Amino acid sequence: MAVLYALVPVALLLAGGGVLAFRWAVRSGQYDDVTTPGVRVLLDDIAPADAPSTPV
Amino acid sequence: MPMPAAATEIDAFPVRVSPERPAATGATVRPERPARPAPDAPCAHCGLPVGHAMIAGSAQTDGSNGDSDASGGQTDRWFCCTGCAVVYDALASAGLGEYHRLRALDPDAARPARTVRLSDAVAELDTARFLADETAPGPAGTRRVTLALDGVHCAACVWLVERLPHDVAGVREARLDLARGRVAITFAPAEVRLSDVARRLARFGYEARPLRRDASGARPAAERRLLVRMGAAWALAGNAMLLAFALYSGLDVAVDNGLADAGLAHGARLVSGVLATISMFVAGPEFFRRAWASVRHAVAARSIARLHMDTPIALGVLGGYAYSVWAALTGRGDVWFDSLLVLMAALLTARFLQLRARRLAGDASERLLALVPTMARRVGADGAVDVVEAALLAAGDCVEVRPGEVVPVDGIVASGASHLDRSVLTGESQPDEAAPGAHVEAGTTNLTHRIVVRVEACGEATRVGRLLAHVRDGRPSSAATVLLADRIAGVFVAGVIALAVLAAVLWAPHGADVAARVVVAVLVIACPCALGMATPLAFAVAAGRAARAGLFVKQEDAFERLAGADVVVFDKTGTLTEGRPSVVSVVGRSGLDDTAARDALRLAAALDRDSLHPVATALVAACADAAVSLDTAAPLDGASTDGLSIMDARIEAICDTPGAGRSGIVEGHRVVVGRPSWAMAQATAPDAALAAAAEALAADGLTPVLVVVDGEAVAAIGVGDALRADAAALVARLRREGRRPYLLSGDHPAVAARVGAALGIDADSIEGGASPEHKRATIARLAETGTVVMIGDGVNDAAAMQAAHVGVAVGGGAAASQVAADVFAVRPGLAPVVALFDGSRAVVQTVRRGLAVSLAYNLLGALAAVAGLVTPLVAAVAMPVSSLAVVALALSQRSFRAADRRRPRATAAGRP
Repeated sequence: MAVLYALVPVALLLAGGGVLAFRWAVRSGQYDDVTTPGVRVLLDDIAPADAPSTPV
Repeated sequence: MPMPAAATEIDAFPVRVSPERPAATGATVRPERPARPAPDAPCAHCGLPVGHAMIAGSAQTDGSNGDSDASGGQTDRWFCCTGCAVVYDALASAGLGEYHRLRALDPDAARPARTVRLSDAVAELDTARFLADETAPGPAGTRRVTLALDGVHCAACVWLVERLPHDVAGVREARLDLARGRVAITFAPAEVRLSDVARRLARFGYEARPLRRDASGARPAAERRLLVRMGAAWALAGNAMLLAFALYSGLDVAVDNGLADAGLAHGARLVSGVLATISMFVAGPEFFRRAWASVRHAVAARSIARLHMDTPIALGVLGGYAYSVWAALTGRGDVWFDSLLVLMAALLTARFLQLRARRLAGDASERLLALVPTMARRVGADGAVDVVEAALLAAGDCVEVRPGEVVPVDGIVASGASHLDRSVLTGESQPDEAAPGAHVEAGTTNLTHRIVVRVEACGEATRVGRLLAHVRDGRPSSAATVLLADRIAGVFVAGVIALAVLAAVLWAPHGADVAARVVVAVLVIACPCALGMATPLAFAVAAGRAARAGLFVKQEDAFERLAGADVVVFDKTGTLTEGRPSVVSVVGRSGLDDTAARDALRLAAALDRDSLHPVATALVAACADAAVSLDTAAPLDGASTDGLSIMDARIEAICDTPGAGRSGIVEGHRVVVGRPSWAMAQATAPDAALAAAAEALAADGLTPVLVVVDGEAVAAIGVGDALRADAAALVARLRREGRRPYLLSGDHPAVAARVGAALGIDADSIEGGASPEHKRATIARLAETGTVVMIGDGVNDAAAMQAAHVGVAVGGGAAASQVAADVFAVRPGLAPVVALFDGSRAVVQTVRRGLAVSLAYNLLGALAAVAGLVTPLVAAVAMPVSSLAVVALALSQRSFRAADRRRPRATAAGRP
């Protein structure tokens, strides 16, 4: 069980890494809008071929 | 008021045709029309019931939209309104039939996307100032801008909006935030103008507007920081729980008995301590700051009642932490780190949800700040008109205001004569005449004719601008609101300390160690975790539901005050009444039955159908509501009608007489509509009875209009401001609940008295002729004796709303009142107000229940702790359980559920 002395700090470091990733995600605005991405899943991608770019 | 004996007063318009009217002569042969669907069939575009005034459209189906008929050719589609028909057409012509597939995935989100007539505000989007100030540079010379977008409500809208890069050259990216109604566009200014993008969106019914920044920059940053802290707090709590799990599973025994695993046990305790210390700095400040401030406050005021709910929380957390650190370092006693960490993480979550809920209301009010247009049409000395920013105008400049537009400046009419809708400022629904030399104000709407105004004041110097600034600056800061939970905080702290002392005294004989352990147990388990969560959660849930129902509540104490309101003050115009002229009564000539009088109304409406005069719009509206149609030869039997709508009637030879009325030929009949004296002069046989009826209508405060058909005076129509159908019911309900309804109006005292009496308001609670200052003074006086709620809709109510304890702005009202109010509704009518009162009562009940549950838990826990029964394990289990109970209560609250129903039920009588 002495291995725990090594494992627990490693686990905590991983957790710390997770928190840093979370912090980055929040600060880059990814949590500002949590409803629209769920809706975007329903939309089909527009293939480049049939995407005419016409002036307004 | 004596009425002519046989005259009939009509207030409902079922569909019928008069049997004695001959078929219209010379009628052209009309193409075979397929049978109309029932009124509750869904509109092909928005899915809402088509109602009686349904519009036909035909679409060349190519099979991709489903239900084409067998021949694959033209199919008639039916829409609820012209707006839906136009948008449907726009979608079809752009080849965007995919929209309807996506829309069908979420039928509950159906709401009509009307075409939008863009105001000149879009011109602002192209100005250099806008590009410089409001857009940010993007990659490769593009600019990024965020615009407010109204009318988006479902996946189909997201699809439609985010297609912009593919449909418009020059737009690189478009991201829609559905919940907040914002679109972030990356575009190349050299290739496309923002106003063109806005125009394209408007074709599909989405109104794009520049975002008015009203301290909106600070809010998302604060929210993000809280979210980061919350996430970190939960990460720390989770890891501490893992370690604590080991301790509860037997590792902690090793500490006391010095067994082989003592090293691990020590390690676990120490590491938990480290995690807790980190959390003290991450999550702690949220509570300690406010707790410390409230303690200083209480000490200065020498009153325990000043303590905030954070104080007992801070007490429990700090006490538990201190003891646990000592225990970890010395190896004696229990550590409570995991319970404390979970407690802090849970409380942070509740705070975050509360902050996010508040943001909903803040977002909505930002969009309303565009009360006065920012662009104006300046007329140069040579007569050339160019569109400039209103703020750049100088006194003496001339601006042109077209019919239908909002006047951008205070000034004097230089040329042109028109009618103005001053309801934004005065609340009066009757339009005012404006002739050269008359004074006009910014914010009023020009109704009928083009005028040129010489500028006297613009921007913040206008009357409306000053009012808005006053509202913005005079806003009381969200000073410490005394919520229910906070009121008991002082008592709570006292109780906890008393119990701790009691425990110390009881257990002292057993030794200092044991006594300290018990005291800490009391402090930790009595820590009001659930108590601190009850109010924020209940508010967050209620505010979210209310927002979906179109009611935005800015501060949670509004719910409490509404539930305990003593006096409810109503504005009259626009709140208790419809706020716009509508047909109140129709008096037919004696000898004619109802149907002929109704036919007269329809003819008059057909003649007036494209006039912007308020009386004309009232006539048209009265007919649209009742699904009237002109006749054909065939008698009707109620439900289905083959007749023409007033929109399709054939009209010739229109002749307008300013100030008097209009005459013309409708489907072969010579019709005259206008002022009774003028119209009667055009009749071959003047009818004294009808003239008297017209005068009776005028004496009643209505505007009388006479209809003459083929030389005979047929009907006198009274146009005025009709009472809302549900106003009387609301007043009765308020009285039943023991509240005092009060009517405060800027309109004539006699009219106010009549309206108040009709609604059942006591005579001593009615005041007419009140200026905005007088309204504010009255409310201040009433506020001394009880909680005052003010319900209104105009700019003139804004100051009064601030004086009241709770200001409620009803939908369809002036933007300034919605900014000043504590609660505002975006849907018109009194139904949101009813929902608000219901919902507030439910929220307060939920909060009380939540507080009761958590108090019970705390009390039982504290008593158990004094009895020595509470160990860290017990606390670790009991605390989440109590928190979950409070969360469950908050989610199951009954507030604002009924108002959440989005699809209105079609009734047999037509559109609700």
